[in-house]
Amino acid sequence: MKKPNARIRNFCIIAHIDHGKSTLADRLMEMTGQVSKRDMEAQLLDSMDIERERGITIKLTPVRMFYTAADGEEYTFNLIDTPGHVDFTYEVSRSLAACEGAILIVDASQGIEAQTLANVYLALENNLEILPVINKIDLPSARPDEAKKEIEDVIGLDASYAPLVSAKEGTNIGEVLEDIVKYFPAPSGDEDAPLKALIFDSYYDNYKGVILFVRVKDGKVSVGDRIRGFRSDKVYDVTEVGVFAPGMLPKDGLFAGEVGYIAASIKSIQDVAVGDTVTNADAPAAEPLPGYKKVQSVVYCGIYPLDGSKFNDLNEALLKLQLNDASLIFEPDTSVALGFGFRCGFLGLLHMEIIQERIEREFNLDIITTAPSVSYKVVKTDGEQLYVDNPSHLPPQSEIDYMEEPIVKADIYSPPDYLGQIMDLCRDKRGTFISMNYLDANRVQLVYELPLNEIIFDFFDQIKSRTRGYASFDYELKGYSRSKLVKLDILLNGEPCDALSMIVHEDSAYTRGRTLCENLKEAIPRQLFEVPVQAAIGGKIIARETVKAVRKDVLAKCYGGDITRKKKLLEKQKEGKKRMRSIGSVEVPSEVFMQILKTNKD
Amino acid sequence: MAGIYVHIPFCKSKCRYCDFASFPDKIGLAESYMACVYREMAMRAPELRDYAFNTLYIGGGTPSVIDESYIAMLVAAAKKHYSLSNDAEITIELNPGTVSASKIDLYKRVGINRFSVGLQSANDRLLADLGRVHTLNEFITCAKLLKGANFSVDIMIGLKGQTPEDIGQAIAVADMYGASHISMYALTPEDGTPIYTDYLNGELPDGDEVAEQYAFGVRELKKRGFERYEVSNFCKRGKESRHNLNYWRRGEYIGFGVSASSCIKDVRFTNTFDLDEYFKCIISNHFAVIDRQEISPAERRDEYVMLALRTAAGVDTAEYEKLFGVSFAAEYAAAIAKNVDYLEVTDKSVRIKDEYLFVQNTIIIDFLES
Repeated sequence: MKKPNARIRNFCIIAHIDHGKSTLADRLMEMTGQVSKRDMEAQLLDSMDIERERGITIKLTPVRMFYTAADGEEYTFNLIDTPGHVDFTYEVSRSLAACEGAILIVDASQGIEAQTLANVYLALENNLEILPVINKIDLPSARPDEAKKEIEDVIGLDASYAPLVSAKEGTNIGEVLEDIVKYFPAPSGDEDAPLKALIFDSYYDNYKGVILFVRVKDGKVSVGDRIRGFRSDKVYDVTEVGVFAPGMLPKDGLFAGEVGYIAASIKSIQDVAVGDTVTNADAPAAEPLPGYKKVQSVVYCGIYPLDGSKFNDLNEALLKLQLNDASLIFEPDTSVALGFGFRCGFLGLLHMEIIQERIEREFNLDIITTAPSVSYKVVKTDGEQLYVDNPSHLPPQSEIDYMEEPIVKADIYSPPDYLGQIMDLCRDKRGTFISMNYLDANRVQLVYELPLNEIIFDFFDQIKSRTRGYASFDYELKGYSRSKLVKLDILLNGEPCDALSMIVHEDSAYTRGRTLCENLKEAIPRQLFEVPVQAAIGGKIIARETVKAVRKDVLAKCYGGDITRKKKLLEKQKEGKKRMRSIGSVEVPSEVFMQILKTNKD
Repeated sequence: MAGIYVHIPFCKSKCRYCDFASFPDKIGLAESYMACVYREMAMRAPELRDYAFNTLYIGGGTPSVIDESYIAMLVAAAKKHYSLSNDAEITIELNPGTVSASKIDLYKRVGINRFSVGLQSANDRLLADLGRVHTLNEFITCAKLLKGANFSVDIMIGLKGQTPEDIGQAIAVADMYGASHISMYALTPEDGTPIYTDYLNGELPDGDEVAEQYAFGVRELKKRGFERYEVSNFCKRGKESRHNLNYWRRGEYIGFGVSASSCIKDVRFTNTFDLDEYFKCIISNHFAVIDRQEISPAERRDEYVMLALRTAAGVDTAEYEKLFGVSFAAEYAAAIAKNVDYLEVTDKSVRIKDEYLFVQNTIIIDFLES
């Protein structure tokens, strides 16, 4: 038995959005001479455009650093980035599994937020050592002592030794580096044992195939080795191994305790999935490392190409995105209104938005997306059970015995001033009050159980607007609960539009139907004929609005000099028309399909 | 069939809705300007030697604001450089505030046989609102001078505070004083014109109200024997504007002067909108074209259909087949089927039904290819 190098520290950073994770990571890299300041792009780790624009991290980007500690020894640090958003809990658990320690950043002026807490609990479940760091002590509003007290009261960690830093100004970063050496354990494992490497991420490279991001737990892997994953029989020859410097730096081999990458001309991401264990095909380990829980889609929506002929392009785009994001699932689907497209599953609303944005930006495709939905459990009168996430696939009402909907446990942290507004909102959203705890004079933790379909629409925005942005919110799926659900249909000019139908709670069906009709009336352009917009439940009309017929659409004068102008005007109008879908004889702009998200006007 | 257009970019003052090239403060340049126009006509003549023209239209601006002798010279120049048929339709636009008996007399003597009078409204308050320089009375004086001549009257709808009575009165006045042709235009508030602020402030009637006014106007005109032959043009039998019909039949035309447009063979071109630039070009023996576009066969078909569908007669399917070598019904089967409720289809023509002429854009779009 050979223990791994004792001078390796594998860790990640847990922080709420805006609490300074990327800034601290940048500082650590800078202080260890990893990147010269000049070469640094604003924030190194967040490399996707969307990540940088939104200030969030989605993909895990590991980086290796060398640090000469006060004891005179040189240590290797592997920092594995973690996404901060609730949607990416799955990705967080992946990066945690590759680490021994986690730095917990808490904003000295804001204290602990809901999402931070969720990730801290995940880290504790994974037996990680946690090092609290109080950041932004340079702010006039900083209250480091209160932040420390919150860490002790809420999480139960000893925060007395927590470094007080300003990542922005570079204050006390050295203390953090020393603490990493001091508090985080060296990796355990056996370098002589058969190879066991946990795949915590992967991406597809056009030249090298799938690149596996791994944490080697036991043994070693070198170029020329034959490897395989535990979940598949396919064997690959390793063509390259290396570390993240950042950027990929090839090495001869990776050893127990190390974090790095493996390339082996792997063509399909399905063959060596994230969460699987890589072993040596000629001297395999007896059993895999414990994987982490399988990714579960929480939100679903239909994605259709605006131009029907671009179906294959969309398919290609989704496949490519899936190569880098195993949590995206999709299957072909057909809509009467929208034609051929895909039903896609996401980790949450943010994940959905990001995928939609990436399709449009990175693949230059115009898409129509349907309103997000959750997966309902349907129990039919004949006893058969099924899960339905697409309202148009719901069996006829007469065949349904009852339905169940997913319920989440929601943690809301807020200053006490806004409790009333939050509780009103939760009540409107059919929430069940569970508990309320005063963390200190300025912060209260509220726990509610809420139906998932009530929070996928505008809950987060509502929380933010009702508390002027002071509250934070996180949720986890709890299970299914029986509920009075109905299918709300929308009829345009008397014809049902499958892409606009939705499953809603009986009590809110009427309000939803009415609001929806009002919104659609505004969003549907006037046609040459009058268009009734109706909401119906099981054939019974519950709301109606009318889009009046257009009465003037003409260029009054058209003489010699006007012909070119008139032609341009018509071309523009035609261009707009191309972005529309025909539902029966009604032409509807693609934005309309998102209109149904707007359930409230307040 | 081919037409000649001449643009006279001078006015007494600029109306609040006017988006045309016209320079009220530059009227002192009229003499030089007209000299350049004659010169431009001469310059263009060689390449149009084979053309037979049968209409001449003198528009503006206000052609009647400049000295009538310049107009006489202009007609003479047109006849000198181009083969203008003996029975050619020669039209001049008049502003009622700028005419006199001698002017009209000279116009008639040089061969002008059609007059287009800008009345716009029979309500003096609305006229003042529009920035028109004339009153209803001045129109009546002008119409009396034109007695017995073939003349058209322009009126507008969609004006601030306009009532159906105002529209009915304008039509009645035009009819009573002998107009054989009436153009009824919906005000188009163009960005950059003073009236655009009225539009931005929501002071102008909306599309629904204008549609109402239009329908009312069409009924009034019909009662008085004015038949619609294009969305905004109405006339007594046989009194259509041949010059304008040529535009809607996608005929060829040559334009002279600032901002004038031309369509010769399959090329469209437009002169500069800048008076100084126009002078400089012509004096240095260059054309003043700023924009030139070759029209592809597909665009030509689009233009033909788009323009024909403006007219009450619609697309003459036999003519279409003769021009483009394909059957209209076959070529546009999908668009016809889709709009079947809005079209009147016979074996000779395809036209937009009367009640849908005012919402024609949506229908025409389906007929465009390019």
